[in-house]
Amino acid sequence: MAGSALRRLMAEYKQLTLNPPEGIIAGPVNEENFFEWEALITGPEGTCFEGGIFPAKLQFPPDYPLSPPKMQFICEMFHPNIYADGRVCISILHAPGDDPMGYETSAERWSPVQSVEKILLSVVSMLAEPNDESGANVDAAKMWREDREQFNTIAERLVRKTLDLSPL
Amino acid sequence: MTVKMKALVAAAISLALTTIVIGNAYYQKKQFYPSVVYLTNSNPSMAVMYLQGLILVLLVGKIIRKIFFGQLRPAELEHLMERSWYAITETCLAFTVFRDDFNPKFIALFTVLLFLKAFHWLAEDRVDYMERSPVIGWLFHVRILTLLMLLAQADFFFIHHAYQFTLLKGPSVQLVFGFEYSILLVMIVNILIKYILHAIDSRWEAPWESKAAVLLYTELAINFFKVLLYIGFVVIMVRIFTLPLFAFRPMYETMRSFKRAYSDVVLSRRAIRNMNTLYPDATAEELAAADNECIICREEMHGGAKKLPCNHIFHAACLRLWFQRQQTCPTCRLNVLRAPAPDAAPHAPHAAPAPHAPNAPRAPPPPFPNVPPPPMMAWGMPPAPPPRPASLATLSAEELRRMEGTERRNVEARLHLLHEIQAMLDASVLLMQQYSSVVANLPLDRNDVATQTDANRPEPSPAPSPAGARPEPDAVPGTSSEATPGPSGSSDGFEDFAFDDADKLTSDTFSEKTDADAEELRRRRLQKFSLEN
Repeated sequence: MAGSALRRLMAEYKQLTLNPPEGIIAGPVNEENFFEWEALITGPEGTCFEGGIFPAKLQFPPDYPLSPPKMQFICEMFHPNIYADGRVCISILHAPGDDPMGYETSAERWSPVQSVEKILLSVVSMLAEPNDESGANVDAAKMWREDREQFNTIAERLVRKTLDLSPL
Repeated sequence: MTVKMKALVAAAISLALTTIVIGNAYYQKKQFYPSVVYLTNSNPSMAVMYLQGLILVLLVGKIIRKIFFGQLRPAELEHLMERSWYAITETCLAFTVFRDDFNPKFIALFTVLLFLKAFHWLAEDRVDYMERSPVIGWLFHVRILTLLMLLAQADFFFIHHAYQFTLLKGPSVQLVFGFEYSILLVMIVNILIKYILHAIDSRWEAPWESKAAVLLYTELAINFFKVLLYIGFVVIMVRIFTLPLFAFRPMYETMRSFKRAYSDVVLSRRAIRNMNTLYPDATAEELAAADNECIICREEMHGGAKKLPCNHIFHAACLRLWFQRQQTCPTCRLNVLRAPAPDAAPHAPHAAPAPHAPNAPRAPPPPFPNVPPPPMMAWGMPPAPPPRPASLATLSAEELRRMEGTERRNVEARLHLLHEIQAMLDASVLLMQQYSSVVANLPLDRNDVATQTDANRPEPSPAPSPAGARPEPDAVPGTSSEATPGPSGSSDGFEDFAFDDADKLTSDTFSEKTDADAEELRRRRLQKFSLEN
């Protein structure tokens, strides 16, 4: 019998394929390894990321769902809650106990109740409403607070880049 | 591709350099032995030879890796790189301790150590990967088993060698090697146990529930051995040579993981014991209410489901796994170690009757108005919710009776308290009515005076006894109330209420009572005044 992590990932994959949430596609990179997924996230409407299609990879630990997966965008991103290398910093992805930023309550951390779908939906809402108190990308947080226009310009450039369009 | 090209170019350059160096030596000396002497005495030539040796070692490593691992996964490669950096810097630190022994043999031994270490790491990662991969072929098993056997033999050989060497020639750098290979051997044992567990798990059709627990205990035991080894090593090193700085980082990490494994075992044991003994099995109706799905594994629950104190239902097996990480409810994060156990109720009667017994509901009011009534003591604590049994059906008749006994007494005490509060409220309502009726009866021409006492002063009063009381009204409230019987019956009733009941009230209401006294005094004076007029 395959591990419980594998079975749960298969169940989630099935669920996501049969009943995909709007603007999100996710699944294993190849079906021999269910612990590495790729996801495509559409920029939420009415935000500066609107229209973009952002690829990301999800890496699941062997003890999933007891430990959270790691998520990393594989396109260029500029966002207060995304590190320069694309790693996503949201509380739902942190196991209770480790708190890189030191401000999250354990109520919003990872627990087996969460799922890939919930993570991706949280990321969509993170794109729409950055939390500028988390310093994953300090430059982006500062610009989001102080110079929204320039932030929007950069976001628009990134959106065009993900769509393989030439910059304006 | 480019990395491969670079490696090829480096290998080619190194090969060319070695050829040139050896060719040059042979060209100069013409014979084998003098050429070797020339090579070993020339530092640049030796540097080139070392480089060539390193590249050969890397090549051999690549070949062995191809044989036993095939293609490395990116995660494995990353892990390998990260650990190599630490190992190399620590080896350089070790060199500083044994700089007197520094010779080619010494370097060769350290290279072999690093080389073997790298394969131990890779084997560990590969075995961890077993758990994640749905397909494991026979090739995988053959490769891993052969590799583990070879590595164990190499470790044994080097430990034996170090032991013999130390016996013959006294302590030397061989101590370090003996220790390092012992650690590696412990690691092999750990990998082998994990491999066997994963292999058994992959053969079984049903999920193997106790696997995680076995893994947890293995980790604890292995870490314990490692900590012992490290401590022994550091003690020996400090006594013979100096502080082994190079062993501190791995030692610290081992101790930390030992501590974590230990607390994991302790906490999870406690949580799991709670789960097994205290939490009830979920009934079929409860399962149906939760859609029959366990939110941890997203699979159906038929039996073997447990209900936590917060009424959330999960597979017992899934909960056991989760409790090995955290002792909280996955859904609402209730701390199961701190939460009141659902069977706390039958124990409560033992403790509860003591404070209640001396103060039966009809007990006389306590002598000190400052002491709050005892029911308040028992029920006023905010974080103490009444213990609630998970299911009355699980309790015996005796337990039920005992529970009901306290419950009834508590309810009676509460009712009594409510009666007192009601009496107090009635009293204040009466007071207000009295006051407003008096104000309404006041003659209009007195309305402009600010206070009653001011109004009293200019007025020569014909009645002697109230006039005497007037200058110090606060000093003797009792005398004034005795001297003047109230004009109406309702006022009398009010007095009884206020003075009898106020004694029973808490310290808060005591101050209220004194206010009420002052109010009463003022009212009486007013009444008298209006009567005189």
